[in-house]
Amino acid sequence: MRLPEKISALLKRRSTLFLLLVPLIAVGFVLQAVGTPLILNIYTYFCVNLMIVLALQMFMGNSGILAWTHVAWVGIGAYASGILSMAPMVKSLGVPNMYPHLVELQLPVVPAILLGGVVAAIVAAIIGWPLMRLSNAVGVITLFATLIVVHVVMTQWDNVTNGPRTFFGLQEFTRLPQALVGAILVLLLAHWYRESSLGLRLRAARDDRFAAMAIGVSVVQVRYVAFVLSALIAGIGGGVWAHFITSFSPKAFYITETFLLLTMLVIGGQGSISGAFTGTALVTVAREVLRQVESGMNNSGMFSFEVYGLTELVMAVLMVIVLIWRPSGIIGGQEITWPLLKRKNRPDDGPGTDVVEPA
Amino acid sequence: MLTVQNLYASYGAITALHGVSLEVAEGEIVALLGINGAGKSTTLKSITGVLRPVRGSITFLGEEIANKSPESTVKKGISLVPEGRDIFGSLTVEENLRLGAFANRDRARYKTDLDEMFQLFPILKERFHQAGGLLSGGEQQMLAIARALMSRPKLLMLDEPSLGLSPTMTDQIFELISGLHERGTTILLVEQNAERALEIVDRAYLLTTGSLEFSGTPDELRRKVDIASVYFGGEDDDHCEVQL
Repeated sequence: MRLPEKISALLKRRSTLFLLLVPLIAVGFVLQAVGTPLILNIYTYFCVNLMIVLALQMFMGNSGILAWTHVAWVGIGAYASGILSMAPMVKSLGVPNMYPHLVELQLPVVPAILLGGVVAAIVAAIIGWPLMRLSNAVGVITLFATLIVVHVVMTQWDNVTNGPRTFFGLQEFTRLPQALVGAILVLLLAHWYRESSLGLRLRAARDDRFAAMAIGVSVVQVRYVAFVLSALIAGIGGGVWAHFITSFSPKAFYITETFLLLTMLVIGGQGSISGAFTGTALVTVAREVLRQVESGMNNSGMFSFEVYGLTELVMAVLMVIVLIWRPSGIIGGQEITWPLLKRKNRPDDGPGTDVVEPA
Repeated sequence: MLTVQNLYASYGAITALHGVSLEVAEGEIVALLGINGAGKSTTLKSITGVLRPVRGSITFLGEEIANKSPESTVKKGISLVPEGRDIFGSLTVEENLRLGAFANRDRARYKTDLDEMFQLFPILKERFHQAGGLLSGGEQQMLAIARALMSRPKLLMLDEPSLGLSPTMTDQIFELISGLHERGTTILLVEQNAERALEIVDRAYLLTTGSLEFSGTPDELRRKVDIASVYFGGEDDDHCEVQL
């Protein structure tokens, strides 16, 4: 009876992974069987967001650097995969000025999405080379500036993105099964990365850059690898998202989206995969509920004026409250493990917690 | 083993070291003493490569290592336990130790080394899955030393290991350091607590404002230098005069 022992040892060692994967998959299957189209849509959207937020966690959570550019990689992945997967006819209709050799390209959806990630990773690799040398406020500001640059390029380069106008006509490839598979794969990757030597060295550099250097960690190198890897996954997530939503404009990849992604990551706890997972789930649910409430209020004529932006407002207040109550997020910087009661081992308010800090 | 010659180092416009030379032979335990700002930590930082020296040479096992990156000096076998128990607070004890060993990828060797650390520091076994930041000051210092030892250093450098620890804890740490020395580890020890350091070292160097004031055995140092005046200031203006 060696096999059951082996399995229980694996369960124990990888308990975090099982605690997250089991509900993710189970809910997916149940909804696929009984869910209404609206619920299926929400869960698919949750899975896509989970991919993108976990990619954000890989870089931001482990390095402590506020990653403003993240949504830019999502955008690059979305546009690149769309251009690669759309039929030439549709493209020439949707984007009249597109370069002829781009119009001719057409790939199946899955390779197109993967290549979209590669394009995002290449751009990140070029931009990250100088930027990963910067730390503290300087690093954060330059990343923010990069987001603005990418946004301006997206809104102006109408031979590629159709400018500020809507880019439409993508195939509706992403449904619940595809999104679920994507989320599972990214969850495995993010977990593996966090526990790997690379991720560990990056977390050490986040805690104390100079101490990490003293034990031989090359801070710039580990940050750079994480930055490019995170961009690759974000780009793939962007492609999956694009083939779910099927039409979008550069507005979808700017401050509002960045704020949403940051809320998802920070509310749960950016230092851990469990935190990113919990935050994404909570924010997705809260957003849908608030949206229903908002449209209900507007439709019922409860007020003489229309209530707009209630969702964003409540989300922002929620984030402030959570961060005052638990600065390192609801889950915090340590992963949840089985059994669940070992909570006292977490450094909640002790030294070295994961404060949201542009390191 | 380690030879530092005529080392100059500066922080921007401020020169912190004016031509320091020192030597550590294999198997020796050597102390680097001096008051705050004398340049002890700067010397260690220059040796590890965290700080690039302006001038001078540092050779380790016959190889020039001045201006080498910290990664490469760690790989060559120099390990520093930084001042102020610089452990990674949000990482677990296990992760801290794994980081110390990341240069050697050998799984079996990691296990042996880990067992050895548990023997030296039984408390770390108890706290293996706790975050480093939750440990007490003395435990953190032990973790910092264990982490440095995990890389199997040929030369272990300790920067103020007793700083901020209770007297009992200080005793334990010093006992541990002499224990490590007896096992054959070569040690360069920086200490403010000169009296305690002199009890366990083979030789000592005394630094004042960036240059070497004295070097010799603890006995010679005690005879020729009024140690109390070094730290607390004598009646003379030149308060760390060597009495020949």
